Amino acid sequence: MTVDLAFWVFGLGAVTTGWRVFRTASMVRATFLLLASFLNVGAIILLLGGAYLGVALLFMMTVEMAVMAIFMVAFMMNPAGLNPMTMVHQPRLAAAAGWVAFVAGAVMAGRGNFPERPLPGGRPVIADLGAELMGRSMLIFETAGVALVATMIGAVVLSSRRSRFGDEAGDEGSLPPALDPDTGSYPPGVIPEGVGSGHDHHGGHG
Amino acid sequence: MSNHADIWAAPLLAAGILAVGAYTVAVIHLAVGGWLAQARPGVGLLLQPARSAAVLMAQPATATERPDRAMAALSPALYAALAAVAVTVVPWSRSFSIADVETGIVLWGTAEALVIVAMFLHGWSSNSHQPLLAAYRFVAAGVSYLLLSMFVLIAAAIPAESLQLSRIVESQAGLWNVVRQPLGLPLFVVVALGSATWGPLDLADGSDVSGGTAAEASGIPGLVWMWARAAMLAAFAAMSAAVFLGGWHGPVLPGPAWMAVKTVAMITVLSAAGHLLARVPAERFVTWAWVVLLPLGFADLAIAGLGSLR
Repeated sequence: MTVDLAFWVFGLGAVTTGWRVFRTASMVRATFLLLASFLNVGAIILLLGGAYLGVALLFMMTVEMAVMAIFMVAFMMNPAGLNPMTMVHQPRLAAAAGWVAFVAGAVMAGRGNFPERPLPGGRPVIADLGAELMGRSMLIFETAGVALVATMIGAVVLSSRRSRFGDEAGDEGSLPPALDPDTGSYPPGVIPEGVGSGHDHHGGHG
Repeated sequence: MSNHADIWAAPLLAAGILAVGAYTVAVIHLAVGGWLAQARPGVGLLLQPARSAAVLMAQPATATERPDRAMAALSPALYAALAAVAVTVVPWSRSFSIADVETGIVLWGTAEALVIVAMFLHGWSSNSHQPLLAAYRFVAAGVSYLLLSMFVLIAAAIPAESLQLSRIVESQAGLWNVVRQPLGLPLFVVVALGSATWGPLDLADGSDVSGGTAAEASGIPGLVWMWARAAMLAAFAAMSAAVFLGGWHGPVLPGPAWMAVKTVAMITVLSAAGHLLARVPAERFVTWAWVVLLPLGFADLAIAGLGSLR
């Protein structure tokens, strides 16, 4: 009874917050609404008896969404995610695809013929999962894990200002854009050669 | 061995433990500060946090321009709820934890990860300059220290061969983890100070950003936030006692008494760190976390792994 009630609460929570992701105009709100949707799904996996997988989903999605919020805001040139922007692309196609997927999933869940093989009580499911990850499937998971770590380190090294050329030359060859390209003004903070600290430079600080 | 409180009693128990824990943190913080300043604090200290709280309650709450009202109201509650989730897995004696779930340390890690989200939303929602700045830099610092926590907790799970907290305490019957894995507790203290944004790692609410995420929190919302931070520190102190200081193990006294003694000792250490150490610059902390602390976390894991081979 309590489990049924919890299922409906989390199920409706997951669907509602998932829907709200596309109705907000803020990237930060969209990110954390999506996180809320994932957390509800994690809770349902816990209700299904996935003791480790449910909790793992909770913390992995949490860290992922926190990092995603930061990165999206950092790379979107949208200061602090405060400028309103739409969260949907190709809304008609997306809505149609969404409804098809939802109906297909619902039909499968409602009409499907699932095998009924309940695990015997007291089976150490977490230890079983560990044995699977560190046994037969170890090569797959370790390969994927190392590849992901290498990608992350590579991305950080390439995006960090001083990692490619060191502290001294980190800015070499890179110039901020001019304030007004049409008039040929200089980028802020740049004093071109041959111009003294006097009167005839444009725009920048003295 | 799996102990669970009744599903309806659990929230009350967690709230009760945190209320006592947060008040203890406030009193010890004042006492340690007074003692360090050689001020001979008196018994009036015991009521001081309640008096300060009453003053805050009389203050009006600040209203910023166009805040995200829902998040501004909910983020302190989310942060306090995470402290409550965290404290549910802490075992207080051989036969009592609020919820001694099989995945105890993973659930604890989830609460820690969500702390980053709660802290960010607290700063972001007020739509104000300094809180927003502090919220972003806290996420950078938080993502940097979070891995440490995973490593030291997994290291503690290795000798216990279980993710369950009661089994981890049981595994320390002969030798406490603080001796067996000497790097674990210091690294966990870093995570505690970061998660409660306390003392040297007060990066979310520091004075260099005018109070950070709490710059616009006054009155009752400000009080709830301060209370939740103290509760978080208390939860970390209790967890340190269970995972590294042998939990309920100890001579003569009963188990819960040992847990209380060790928790208070940890609160005192964390509080002294808050008084004696200056806040670290955020950018330098992120570098240290990845370059120095993370390899130490690996070493802790390696020590635990080699120890279990014997």
